[in-house]
Amino acid sequence: MEIYITKRDGSKELFNADRINRSIERACFGLVDPITKVTQIATDTKVTLYDGITEEELDLATINAAVQNIKDDPDYDKVAVRLLLKTVYKNVLGDYGKDIEKFKKLHKENFAKYIKQGVADGILDSRMEQKFDLEKLSLALDTNKDELFIYAGLSSLLNRYSIKDRSQKPFETPQYFFMRVAMGLSYNETQPTEWSIKFYEKMSSLEYLAGGSTNINAGAINPALSNCFLLEIHDDMAHISKSVSDVMMLSKASGGIGASITKLRATGSPLSSNNTTSSGPTPFAKIIDTAIRAIQRGGKKKGALCFYMENWHLDFADFVEWRHNAGDDYLRMRTADTAVFISDEFRKRVASKEDWYMFDPKETADLNELYGKAFSVKYNEYIKMAESGKMRTFKKVPATEQYRQIITSLQATSHPWLVFKDTINLRALNNNSGTIHMSNLCTEICLPQDKDNIAVCNLASLNLVTHINKRQIDWQRLQESARIAIRQLDNLIDINKLPVPEAVKSDSENRAIGLGVMGFADALEQLGIPYDSPHAYDFADKIFEFISYMAIDESANLAKERGCYKNFNGSEWSHGKVPVDTITKLEEERGNPIDIDKNSKQNWLDWDSLRAKVKKGMRNATLMAVAPNANIGLVAGTTPGIDPRFAQVFSRNKISGKYLDINHNLVTELKNMNLWEKIKDKLIELQGDISEIQEIPQHIKDIYKTSFAVSPYAFVEVAARAQKWVDQALSRNMYLDSRDVEKTMDIYFTAWKKGLKSTYYLHMKPRHSAEQSTVTVNKSSALGKTGFSSAFKKVTNIESLPVLSNQPEVVVEPITKIIDGKTYKVHGPSDPQEQYTCDSCQ
Amino acid sequence: MILGKASPEDVNLHPIKYQWAYDLYQQAVRNTWFPHEIALKEDLEDFTKMTEDERHSVKFLMAFFNPAELIVNRSIALGIYPYIKSPEAHLYLAKQMWEEANHCVAFEYVLETFPFDKEKIYNVHLETPSMQAKEDFIMKYLKRMTEDKLDVQTTEGKKDFIRNLVATNIVMEGVWFYSGFMVALSFRQRNQLRNFASMIDWVLRDESLHLKFGINLIQTVLEENKDLLTEDFASEIRQIIIDGVNVENAYNKDLFPRGILGLNADYVNQYVQYVADRRLEELGLPTHYNVTNPAKWMASATDVLELVNFFEQQNTKYEVDSNSDKK
Repeated sequence: MEIYITKRDGSKELFNADRINRSIERACFGLVDPITKVTQIATDTKVTLYDGITEEELDLATINAAVQNIKDDPDYDKVAVRLLLKTVYKNVLGDYGKDIEKFKKLHKENFAKYIKQGVADGILDSRMEQKFDLEKLSLALDTNKDELFIYAGLSSLLNRYSIKDRSQKPFETPQYFFMRVAMGLSYNETQPTEWSIKFYEKMSSLEYLAGGSTNINAGAINPALSNCFLLEIHDDMAHISKSVSDVMMLSKASGGIGASITKLRATGSPLSSNNTTSSGPTPFAKIIDTAIRAIQRGGKKKGALCFYMENWHLDFADFVEWRHNAGDDYLRMRTADTAVFISDEFRKRVASKEDWYMFDPKETADLNELYGKAFSVKYNEYIKMAESGKMRTFKKVPATEQYRQIITSLQATSHPWLVFKDTINLRALNNNSGTIHMSNLCTEICLPQDKDNIAVCNLASLNLVTHINKRQIDWQRLQESARIAIRQLDNLIDINKLPVPEAVKSDSENRAIGLGVMGFADALEQLGIPYDSPHAYDFADKIFEFISYMAIDESANLAKERGCYKNFNGSEWSHGKVPVDTITKLEEERGNPIDIDKNSKQNWLDWDSLRAKVKKGMRNATLMAVAPNANIGLVAGTTPGIDPRFAQVFSRNKISGKYLDINHNLVTELKNMNLWEKIKDKLIELQGDISEIQEIPQHIKDIYKTSFAVSPYAFVEVAARAQKWVDQALSRNMYLDSRDVEKTMDIYFTAWKKGLKSTYYLHMKPRHSAEQSTVTVNKSSALGKTGFSSAFKKVTNIESLPVLSNQPEVVVEPITKIIDGKTYKVHGPSDPQEQYTCDSCQ
Repeated sequence: MILGKASPEDVNLHPIKYQWAYDLYQQAVRNTWFPHEIALKEDLEDFTKMTEDERHSVKFLMAFFNPAELIVNRSIALGIYPYIKSPEAHLYLAKQMWEEANHCVAFEYVLETFPFDKEKIYNVHLETPSMQAKEDFIMKYLKRMTEDKLDVQTTEGKKDFIRNLVATNIVMEGVWFYSGFMVALSFRQRNQLRNFASMIDWVLRDESLHLKFGINLIQTVLEENKDLLTEDFASEIRQIIIDGVNVENAYNKDLFPRGILGLNADYVNQYVQYVADRRLEELGLPTHYNVTNPAKWMASATDVLELVNFFEQQNTKYEVDSNSDKK
């Protein structure tokens, strides 16, 4: 069949295989065995074509053909990246033929045009044009850095972060994107051009990345740059209504939201205005659950919110059920997440097998404001009142039973997450301005809020992998990145535009920021350290101590240059405290030691001098928070946050598409050992778990475990070591193979004992998954059954079986694939990122 | 014996004779899901932006699946359940029938949400010859049990039981449905119909279990009834599967009269053949087509564990009971 291509102008042209092959060939430049790759991609493209396919679709078909081969060789990822880049360049810059020099020139020249056009079209802020030397900036743009991307990362960046022009056409190349973000955070610098270049260098080298909202909105006319908002809903109708509106406005400003509903009176609680009773928090929460569904954050991310409730609330049992899939839809939250805010008092009552009492907050309003010993005292007073009949209402259950209910629900629905109120408040340096009533959507933010303040946090994350040089951490570079990132985050606050006055107030008075870390597991792999080993725990300790020190020091420097944040006086900072100092206070109030190695692992850091410096002034109320980085981790092509590698191959189901994630570190190691070709099919068949593959040596298996094979206590220990130094918290995803409730209860109890402030999603290993498509499956032989085969015993040649079909058979050309392991070795690392990392670190 | 006329003892669940059936029942219960857990608004937006050919394929697919789920149920109720003695297999089949009903209303939920002509959409399968051919194919084997008298104690009766089981479970659920899932999931690879794809993930998870049950059942019947293990009967069963693939060719042509980005009728045919070979092998029969899997991207769609960004996407990997490690 002849296939015609529909050109952009509508005309038809006969499909020219040669031309496609040549463009694939160019994308295979510098890779091992390019001819095999070109043949493979061209063959795969051909089967998906149809007559009348458009030029754009043809480009996509080629990219998809490359992408579907990544599972066999991650080099195809490089090809896909280059093919995708080509379409972006073509869209943004127009046709440049095959001339690389011409392309680079065009990319540089077009930059000023892009900024000016953006401003003229009302997409970019006019300061983007006025404040900068665009010519100088364009000279700093480096398209070689586009080679750093993996396909899923680049595709995510383009889908989520790149801005489109008025006709929704791609408007910026990846390097324009990084420069836009850098510029959009430099308006108020005295040397905006110079600082933009510094920020650009860091981000485009993937040494750190800004949080999602910043990436979407920096430089735009509406710079809503914050990532997290934390708001309280108060117990009156007017405030509930206002909160619905606030949630919608803040969602639109592309932030994720934490919302505490602990203060809402319980079901059956009297209403004074009309002498009736309240319907409790659930119906009000449902309004918000529906409201966020209506919003696509910043037009690109879905609205997202987590409800927080303390577990002494009378309606807590209903709250635990909110995420269950069965039941009355009006009593279920389909979109919002839930988290329980747990006190030390509860933990102790579980440990000592005592009863747990639940009250109507209408009668016990102060409990929500109290923490530590003061909470326990008041809580016990209320118990006495309840038992002596002085409370209108209360419920009691054995504390262990409620704990079991929480854990059972967590296993079945991954909700509610467990977040520890007293650890958060007792270790806070910033709650001189009020109690912290919740964490945020991703459980890494610890900021106080009240009726006049909606807490705001602004995030960025350092990428550890790009700070490895010759199998060691480049501490000098890491220091530089941390300091520049803190400055960039502080700049953000004065540019930030937020839609709700309570958020503006809190943002400007606290200047709260959260510098995080990503690529933790990736870095461990590259350093040859198993995630569940004492070396890994010490590594976490060292890294976080170091970053914490530099971040604090830089904020103190900024305070000298720019002044303190408004609520500094009275904060623990102002008493010369640094995060690690607050552990003592927690231990005193809890009456139990925190089960953790409290020493410094970086003897050369002078914390005492820093304490003296901090006492004089800080620029920011908070400095660190380790976000989950599900998106920017992907853009950076590394493991998100402090998460382990989910599996050596797995898929990500994201708003921008479904991607296969294959561990490039592992593939490189296996290729070097000449094992990759032998085991690659098994890797898919075993769903990314190499533990059962005989050929692979044990030391490799130790380093490359799936998240379900890593001990859950290792997740706790890594987070606990990091938490020593981090002033806010860490999004600690948990992964469990076992569904044993007792064991799970112990794991979360350990998390509390070791001083974690929060935990995040619990990922349970599925017990049954769909039948696999691309690997050999034979359910019968797996059962040891033979079916009809014994009926053919006498037939030696099964091909001789008569076939009654007269349908023509589809003939498929055999795919040849010849790869010589030795050749691979000579060509060095096949992970293009690793190659670059070496270059950039020298 | 798993086949036969049920006697009074056959409602005694214990001692369990067919552990596999009992285990599959337990897993099936854990897999429980409901269509309303899926929000379709974004998919609706995707749908309006699709090309005419793409929209046709989505509509065609659902117009087939919606009644097909009920045909499977009819076959279980009339052609499988009555001839089985094992109470644990009855438990499983009862759950499977609920699942087929759930799939039917899940497709209904999508059909009612998407801008289809509600008067016509449920009739599409009656008016499309290639869909009728598929339905006739299944009904042909069922008819022998509903309209003729079938004595499952005889070799011929047992054969009819297997013929119907293979047609429904292997051909319909194990081949046709699988290619339908591939087509449905292909849209997600292009970042379209992602929530619909989440639903398909669930349906596929269920169907994988149905198939496990079906293959276990066939294997058990063959083991217990050696009189069925003749070359003639094996060839006949093999031919049923090959015929099923042939029926699918015309349907795929109607599904993709021209083709869309990444998919065309030949491509889907090849996938059907690839899956059919797998089924032949699973039944201990020689493969027929020996083609490669054209849809390598299914590796990321279904083959590996999925890490979900929860607040972006419905997590389809959760299971409803916990605490079941303890027995």
